[in-house]
Amino acid sequence: MRSSRVFQIVAAKVTGLALALSLISPCQAQPDDVIADEASLRADAEKTFKEKVGPFVNKYCINCHGPRAEAGINLKSALRIPGAASSFLHWKKAMANVKVHDMPPDHAEKIPTDKERRQFIEWIGKLKYLAQRDPGHFVIRRLSKVEYGNTLHDLYGVDPSIADSLPEEVVGEGYLNSISPLQSELFLDIANKVIDQVVSPTDEPPTEVQKGLFGETPPNGADLRKAARQVARSLARDAYRRPPTEAELDVLVGIFDIARENDLGYRSSLGLMWKAVLVSPQFLFSTPAVDVDSKDSVVPLDDYQLASRLSYLLWSTPPDAELSALAEKGELHKPEVLRAQVERLLMHDRSRALFDGFGSQWLGVGGLESQTFDPDVFPQMTLALRKAMMEEARLFFQSIVRENQSVFRFVDSDYTFLNEPLAELYGLEQSVKGPTMRRVKLENPNRGGILGMPATLATTSFPNRTSAVRRGVWVLEQILGERVPPPPPNVPELEEQEQQSKEGLTLRQRTELHQSEPTCANCHKLLDPIGFGLENFDAIGRWREKDDAGVVIDSAGKLPDGESFSTPAELKGLLARRKTDLARNLTEKMMAYALGRQLEGYDEIVIDQLMVKIAQDKYRVRTMITEVITSYLFTHRKVKG
Amino acid sequence: MNYRSRVDRRTLLKGVGVSLALPFMDSLSWAAGGNSARPPVRLGFMYMPHGVIMDEFWPKSPEAYHKSPPAAIESLRPILDQCLMMKGISGVPIAPFGGAPHALELSTWLTATLPDADTRSRVNIAISADQIMANYVGAHTLLPSLELATMPQTWKENQAGLHEAYYSHCSYRSPTQTVPAEIDPRLVLNRLFGKKGKAGLVTKANPLDRQMLDRVLGGARDLRRTLARTDQLKLDEYLDSVRATERRIAAIEYRQQEAALEKAGVRSTKRHSNDSPPIEVKIPEGDKRSEYMQVMCDLTVLAFQTDTTRVSTYIGSTPNGVSYPELGFTDKHHSQTHHENRKEQVRKVAAITKFNIDQFAYMVKKMASLREGDGSLLDNCIMMWGSGMEDGNKHSRENLPFIIAGKGGGSINTGRFLPDTKGNQGDLLTTLLSCAGVPLDRPIGIATRQITEMKV
Repeated sequence: MRSSRVFQIVAAKVTGLALALSLISPCQAQPDDVIADEASLRADAEKTFKEKVGPFVNKYCINCHGPRAEAGINLKSALRIPGAASSFLHWKKAMANVKVHDMPPDHAEKIPTDKERRQFIEWIGKLKYLAQRDPGHFVIRRLSKVEYGNTLHDLYGVDPSIADSLPEEVVGEGYLNSISPLQSELFLDIANKVIDQVVSPTDEPPTEVQKGLFGETPPNGADLRKAARQVARSLARDAYRRPPTEAELDVLVGIFDIARENDLGYRSSLGLMWKAVLVSPQFLFSTPAVDVDSKDSVVPLDDYQLASRLSYLLWSTPPDAELSALAEKGELHKPEVLRAQVERLLMHDRSRALFDGFGSQWLGVGGLESQTFDPDVFPQMTLALRKAMMEEARLFFQSIVRENQSVFRFVDSDYTFLNEPLAELYGLEQSVKGPTMRRVKLENPNRGGILGMPATLATTSFPNRTSAVRRGVWVLEQILGERVPPPPPNVPELEEQEQQSKEGLTLRQRTELHQSEPTCANCHKLLDPIGFGLENFDAIGRWREKDDAGVVIDSAGKLPDGESFSTPAELKGLLARRKTDLARNLTEKMMAYALGRQLEGYDEIVIDQLMVKIAQDKYRVRTMITEVITSYLFTHRKVKG
Repeated sequence: MNYRSRVDRRTLLKGVGVSLALPFMDSLSWAAGGNSARPPVRLGFMYMPHGVIMDEFWPKSPEAYHKSPPAAIESLRPILDQCLMMKGISGVPIAPFGGAPHALELSTWLTATLPDADTRSRVNIAISADQIMANYVGAHTLLPSLELATMPQTWKENQAGLHEAYYSHCSYRSPTQTVPAEIDPRLVLNRLFGKKGKAGLVTKANPLDRQMLDRVLGGARDLRRTLARTDQLKLDEYLDSVRATERRIAAIEYRQQEAALEKAGVRSTKRHSNDSPPIEVKIPEGDKRSEYMQVMCDLTVLAFQTDTTRVSTYIGSTPNGVSYPELGFTDKHHSQTHHENRKEQVRKVAAITKFNIDQFAYMVKKMASLREGDGSLLDNCIMMWGSGMEDGNKHSRENLPFIIAGKGGGSINTGRFLPDTKGNQGDLLTTLLSCAGVPLDRPIGIATRQITEMKV
């Protein structure tokens, strides 16, 4: 799963088998028959595992993937604890390699038959039923630069640009959730700026925001510490997105005391206390409630956490007044209330944050503005054009969500959003004039949808030419949700193969040389034909009949399952028909983004259940988002084990 | 106010050994006492991935080192008497991780240690040499160490099941914590020297902030206890960074105090009167790689010159597919190193290597031109440029390519090429720290000996 939320740790969940019995607790919002069904599926999976998977692995895999753990795939421990979350990735990788005949290697003594391979893949699909019921821990994460700026704006009325001095976030999976010493200093620096803007000097009247935050100055002789504690309570309630604990208030009032001991006035002392709020981890990270009053190992998120998780997911902002009020009243977790709020948030313009945060990562277009293009070959790739490309992708994504269209419309639609410079790439500059983006109906069946969209075509290209391989990987991973094994470490990229001897060959012929190399062939014969299907689009998404060498493009190919196509339009049609794959992939990616972690073990079972409901509503995208948000995984967390 | 908890917290802090009051006095006065005090030794690293073209990197002989140095090191020619090259230092054998040569070339470079195989999907390696030194001398300076990089430290690959951070980090604060590098020169400049870009002019420091942060840290520890283990690690980074901010405020206060005293004529500065003034650093406007790398080098020079830190690491590029448009190459560095001895690609790899060494040469030549104490700044530094791989085509690691510049305060015998040194990466790092005056209680990584032949 590639597109986990930005800055997320990809945490291996620590699952203890000892917890097995305690996990089924009455607080979970799952009907009994689901649980009973799970039990029988688990029994079946155990049987399958014992009779089929074990023998297959022992026969074909264990020599290299036992204790030696070749390529990091350790099937010995996976055999020992097949249902553990830690085993899940090993199974997934093993399956991906077996599927494309990459493993066992051709020189191995024993090679499974095609039938055995298919069976292995099917068996692995059942392993999820061995996983214990588990929504995972609540994964804490730092607010992104955008979220942080929005939060300061929403709470204190400052311009979000106050966060501009922070380093740009690097998009990617990984531990990038970190706070470097530099960032820590900048958070302090920005907190100082916020306070300077909001709190007026002692001899001047307070600003409006200040009055709201600090209240009235208590009269002479009043208990200032008591007043300060009240202020701390309301400051922390907003900033921590939940009511603070008494211990947290002790810390804040302690800081007020320090200021007083150093002869600061009441107002300045509150200022120091507020600054502490702004550099606290409870503000900078989204964190779960400190106290859990439960003996259960799994608990529902409380309404404050739910409000916060929901709001940052769809708007990249802290909960607004309506969400906060519902959380205060303890009503947000009610399914009908939660659904209504999802609907409200998605229909509001602030939900563009969902594209900026999730959509652009899913499509892989986040880096387009800074991507290198050879200026001699593509002089028109100006910043303005790149921005227009991004805007097209965003408006298209939003329109599908807003109009609650079916997920296959991402691939196959008959409209897009263009301005004049962008329309030139489509050859539509005669009918689209001016710099404003507008909705345009498309007559050309090769266009319409993310396959024929300049933003995605450009981000899957090299600086000076297209890459059938990258486009093939993109279609398989981002659209169909397949797992493509990485290339072996020693292989040069195609562009580095000696240019001279290959002159006069088309890109296709050159790429097909890849397939004559046995180590490459297994994967490339799957990847490349898909990419070739898009060869009619050049590296910035313009239509062409001939390639750079002047040779007519042959865009025929076939999908891994054997279905063949001869034009981008036909490829589009084939992919659009795979609604289940499209929807499942998007659901999984959305879920991983929403949870801030990779999906493992039990998550798959939850996704299975969601897919049934999503299919019933014709794979509509807003339904899908709502199902993700109201799911067991989104609304619960593990607190023990 | 709950007095008990307050007292407890202070006691706790002491117990944990977080040193908030810094032992400046004895350490910062190195030049104040006149000629008898010697400037401190500074240690700097600069990295290039994927190895070199061996024939164009190693001198043909010890004599040829001076008379006809290979093309790659041409730019160092004026100061070769202040440099040292040694062939025969081997990298860490990466056997169980054969599929991840590039993750390991960088992550083993300053650790001389392999990641822990059983926990490979997390970061679990060893504290790196630069951070060992930072632990020892870091309390004396505004920043314990400086980490810079040209590229964002991200790479979406985890070959051989290794955590992807191994692709982009060489500095490790502890076995499980990477030290993130800064990539924006403007931010680094502001952070080191305040907005005006002049040493000594720093942003305002509020002493109360230090006490405030102290309390926030106490509160954060309570929060930490409620988190899952992986999340605790995330919060640890937060705690470390806030602690670094506290220290920095303390250091700024000290600096301001010292400046005031100096202005009042109470005591001399820690700089010699005949030391060169701090260099000026200009942030380039365009996106030329050479200019970018040179400003990072300038920042290192300035940080060392002003004793803002004594340890630096600059990841000139990570092993994740950077190209060199400035040299007219749009292909990726990595792919070119799999040249299969094809002429055109060999030429490109050689040019990229030379380009990287040129930037290093820019830095150390500048250091050589700056007066400090009785000699030059470079005399008191140990600057090492290198790669964690010998030959990117074969992924070999028998003779790691590296160049040392600077005499390390008189500890390193420079001006030589030693063609047949016996030792490994751990031996080298152990020796470097010894030359920098850092006492080690155990060897680094796979080290078994010190390379005494490089010492005076």
